[in-house]
Amino acid sequence: MIQTKGLSKRYGSLEALVDLNLEISRGEIFGFIGPNGAGKTTTMRILSTLLEPTKGQAFIDGLDVRKEGHKVRRTIGYMPDFMGVYDDLKVFEYLEFFAAAFGIESKKRKSIVEGVLELTDLQGKRAETVDSLSRGMQQRLGLARVLLHDPKVLILDEPASGLDPRARIEIRELLRELRRMGKTIMISSHILSELEEICDHVGIIENGRLIFSGSMEQIRIQLGLGNKVKVRVTGNQEMAIELLKGLSEIQEVKALDDHIAVTFYPDKPGDGIIARTLVNGGIDIISLEPVRVKLDEAFLHLTKGIVH
Amino acid sequence: MSWQTLYSACKRINPLWLTGPIFEKELVVSSRRRRNYVLRFAYVALLSFLVLMVWIPNISMSSSLAYQTARMSVAGLWIVTTICFYQFIMTQFTAVIMLSTAISDEIYHKTLGLLMTTPITSFQIVMGKLLSKLLQMLLLIGISFPLLVILRVFGGVPWSYILSSFCITITASLFAGALTLYFSIRGRYAYAVILKSIFTLAMLYLFIPMIMIFLMVLITQSTGPSSAMKLMYVISLFNPFFQMYGATVSLFMGRIFGTFGAALSPWTWHCLTLLGLTILLVARSVTIVRRVARSQAVGEFEIGSRRRIKKKKHEAVLKPEEGRYFSDSEIKPVKGSPIVWKELRVPFIRGGRRSSKIALGFSLAALFLCYLLNHITDALDSEATHFGYALVFVLLGLITNIVLSATTITGEKESGSWPILLTTPLDNWQIIIGKAIGVFRRCLPIWLFLAGHLILFTLVKYIHPIAIFQMVLVVAGSMFFLGCSGLYFSSLMKRTTSAVVANLGFVAFLWFVMPIFLSFMMQITRSTPEWMNAYLSANPAVQTGVVMIACSGSGNAGSSVLNLQYRWPLEGSENFIRATIIIFVVAVCYTVFGLLMLYRARVRLRRNIF
Repeated sequence: MIQTKGLSKRYGSLEALVDLNLEISRGEIFGFIGPNGAGKTTTMRILSTLLEPTKGQAFIDGLDVRKEGHKVRRTIGYMPDFMGVYDDLKVFEYLEFFAAAFGIESKKRKSIVEGVLELTDLQGKRAETVDSLSRGMQQRLGLARVLLHDPKVLILDEPASGLDPRARIEIRELLRELRRMGKTIMISSHILSELEEICDHVGIIENGRLIFSGSMEQIRIQLGLGNKVKVRVTGNQEMAIELLKGLSEIQEVKALDDHIAVTFYPDKPGDGIIARTLVNGGIDIISLEPVRVKLDEAFLHLTKGIVH
Repeated sequence: MSWQTLYSACKRINPLWLTGPIFEKELVVSSRRRRNYVLRFAYVALLSFLVLMVWIPNISMSSSLAYQTARMSVAGLWIVTTICFYQFIMTQFTAVIMLSTAISDEIYHKTLGLLMTTPITSFQIVMGKLLSKLLQMLLLIGISFPLLVILRVFGGVPWSYILSSFCITITASLFAGALTLYFSIRGRYAYAVILKSIFTLAMLYLFIPMIMIFLMVLITQSTGPSSAMKLMYVISLFNPFFQMYGATVSLFMGRIFGTFGAALSPWTWHCLTLLGLTILLVARSVTIVRRVARSQAVGEFEIGSRRRIKKKKHEAVLKPEEGRYFSDSEIKPVKGSPIVWKELRVPFIRGGRRSSKIALGFSLAALFLCYLLNHITDALDSEATHFGYALVFVLLGLITNIVLSATTITGEKESGSWPILLTTPLDNWQIIIGKAIGVFRRCLPIWLFLAGHLILFTLVKYIHPIAIFQMVLVVAGSMFFLGCSGLYFSSLMKRTTSAVVANLGFVAFLWFVMPIFLSFMMQITRSTPEWMNAYLSANPAVQTGVVMIACSGSGNAGSSVLNLQYRWPLEGSENFIRATIIIFVVAVCYTVFGLLMLYRARVRLRRNIF
């Protein structure tokens, strides 16, 4: 649905984006992460037809963003990191204005605007002026705006910034709902734990270069991080550790406060082997809990240059 | 003990206590701003140009050496007065420009609230800003001071004139600066603060004295000259232009204009009065700055916005059980082009309908008063009167057009809504044309004043009806041209103030600086090429003058169209047909140039977005 080929952007001597190759499938939520100034916003602006790339190509739904900008704009809904508002418009007017700008017929506009207001829980604010809304409300309004023309692709630059915890959870649910509706969503955020929960794939960018793109499973493999399991046992913990250390599938066994942390070799999943070994060794198991690789952990590893 | 006490006493009486570290910070920052160097360069260049312009006609190079020597003292006198007047005007103008962002920048960057959390007082903030700019203005004055001293030594100009003009200039600049600083506390955009300050100064120094002079004429007719002299004294107490004029007239021909000089208040009293007014303005600014800073510190104040008050009003009409606001009826449905619709939602005057109504009421009352005074003094039958009115309306309309067109895109860039608009499927032409129509529609209220004046005095037979048609041509061409140039600069620049200044500068160069320069060239070369004539005739102010003088007055209004005589500045008279053709051709040229600029604006629309 979204594809970039050798996409580069240069501002004078600064290379903001270098040879970016990205592919996002239909109906996927793609998390785009990276430190400040890494090139996330530049990529999103190019995909939204706001910036011209210096080199390379970008396609959205098969449309070249450079040559078919007009058609691309009908396909996407772009929400910038800083949402500018019109001083003198009310919430309903603001949405109706953009509905008209997207060429929605005047007869349908009212019901569409009412629909997105309901979806984003802004009905109570419909007659308030846009600039009197709080930051969180403005973010919601921005999301309501991008949904007006029912775009296939949503490009959301830091949509959760400035939102309170409840609003973040609501936005997360809304994004899940949009995925169910078949929308492709590209989202950038600094709150990695949130992206982890909703994203199918992630892209990690640093210094304008894409240093990783794939699923969380692929991150684990690429980082050489095996599956981790938390094991709680009754009785002799040392004996349990000895038994586990003898297994060829296991890379590392560590005794922590109240549990044992077991790490498998990346290429050896070792399904059920821990339980079998411990039970056969006469050790009672309280719990076996798989531990997934955290996105922030992966982010720290990757952006420290471990992959390079 | 004694040394320590003395040291602490000295520390307390340190003049820097007045300003705190703000003064130093302002000086450091201003030394890094390129625009200050540009300003100084422009100041010196313009001063040199003016001195040259005064010098050459006074000392005719083709005449004998003896004649030239004899003319030296006269030339010296003219050059001194030119420099003094130049300083007088320019320092006030510079003060307005420099202080236009004095406080608003601090509020916009949210640093005012931070400053208030330090031991710096609001008095120090205001004084620091004001005095640091004053110092830079003194530097500008200092640039021309050596020339004045040389001329004083060789030219026979009394010290009293130089001293009085210097003091009048400084106090007038201080007052203009304090006024601008006061406006900058509540103004978000520098251009708006500049326009507001210039408008207020024009009201104080021009409009109010004009009304008072009319009254003076009436008083003189009824009670004799003594009451009029008292009125004149009062006006001159507040008006630095009167003081400068009085001092200059006295310098040239003191005895002849002795009566005028006697009617004025002494310049020392005038300076003290303006200083007093400046202190009052500073005191008021100090109070407001503190209030604004406190509001900002608790996140209540957004510059240029009165939403806090509005929000409270909204809350008052909220019916929680219904979960919605009563003001649904205020929601206006989008009709036609969304861009035009949105542009027309922006109020002409910030602050809502009430402010617009007050401004309209005030303008109409002022206009009515002027008409009444003109009627009493039998001036309504004069061509000059109608030329004056038409010129004021045309200038106001064009300035509004210049400002609104230049702010329409940059305003969105600054607020961050521009990228959002550009990701809609609206194409560049739709956006540009929508914006242009919006600008023209928003300027209409000003043009209605001109239309009202022309129609009213056509009906009472003081203006020939054909003037309406010709003025429509004059206004349409220049309005379209300026609207398009404003859109071009707005698409080119990122900051609203830069776009407004660029558009104003472009117009000033085209219609003010170039005509002066050409007149100067014509004086030197003693020839008037055809193209210079054509260029000067294309000036809307000149065209307004030609049309209004030809068509105004009961004599002209009652005569046949074919008998009307249009007098162009450098040519002879033209009849109605030729004059209309000239005006029409000029309007077409402006339209073509405007279309070119509109095209360039369209091309540049999606560049420089961020």
